[in-house]
Amino acid sequence: MATMLSSLKYSDSLTVVGISFCTAFLCEGISWLLIYRTSSYKSLRSSIDKASKKLETMKTEGPSSTKKSKTKKIDRVETTLKESTRDLSLSKFKSGAVVAVVLFVVFGFLNSMFEGKSIAKLPFSPANLVQKMSHRGIPGDDPTDCSMAFLYFLCSISIRTNLQKFLGFSPPRGAANAGLFPMPDQKIN
Amino acid sequence: MSMKEKKSVKFNLQQNDHIPPFQYAKLLDPDASWDKDQLGDVLHWIRQVVALICGLLWGSVPLVGAIWILVFLVLSSGIVYGYYAIVLKLDEDDFGGHGALLQEGLFASITLFLLAWILVYSLAHF
Repeated sequence: MATMLSSLKYSDSLTVVGISFCTAFLCEGISWLLIYRTSSYKSLRSSIDKASKKLETMKTEGPSSTKKSKTKKIDRVETTLKESTRDLSLSKFKSGAVVAVVLFVVFGFLNSMFEGKSIAKLPFSPANLVQKMSHRGIPGDDPTDCSMAFLYFLCSISIRTNLQKFLGFSPPRGAANAGLFPMPDQKIN
Repeated sequence: MSMKEKKSVKFNLQQNDHIPPFQYAKLLDPDASWDKDQLGDVLHWIRQVVALICGLLWGSVPLVGAIWILVFLVLSSGIVYGYYAIVLKLDEDDFGGHGALLQEGLFASITLFLLAWILVYSLAHF
């Protein structure tokens, strides 16, 4: 099996995918160790989930009280949601630096192994902007030659996102619209 | 054309905010009530499965050309729309509208599709 795989012209792509899988597990393991298992993360996440569900209910309910008091209540819940989301982002930011270092080291390692080499063949000609990544460091003009950088990018996004989803580590949906630098909200009419 | 009767969904917001455990039987049950997060997760995984199947298929045949990326996008979005609008008969306004539902797992599915397509194409045809 190993001999058959290594005889394939683009078998290096499997090496990149395999390393990406391992890196994704490693990064999620580090994140779990430094972020997800802490009580502060769990309570922040629970607070965001509750606040966003409460906000949804309040926005979809019919008029049960005066408009002014309803708007005030919604503002209070939104403020709580924004603060919790900001705190969550900050707590993840500090530990995210470790994950970033791991990803940087792995990318450097892969780059040293496959620089200047086409490790896959694209079944389409990518746009010029995408070619800057997909044809990075590869000699020649064939736009369908695929560099390690592009394949690693695809692996990272697809594998990590789905792994986070599968393990239940993906960010709460209620926090999707708020971030470290929240924009002012429109008031509800 | 007669108005399609859309079911309004009861939110699972009990007083103690308890989300009932997911039951696979409700995946095809138009009378089931859905929590926004659960529905989002189901739509995400539907997209990923479609992406994987399309990538493996497109790479095996092989289908070549950027047009097949568009075909995948239309197909996967159509399947997701068909699932929540026709199979589950949900009112999209209760879940943030068509945009919110159709974007669940979209970016991850595109990258997964491209990865599967590129890998199968490269390994099977060269």
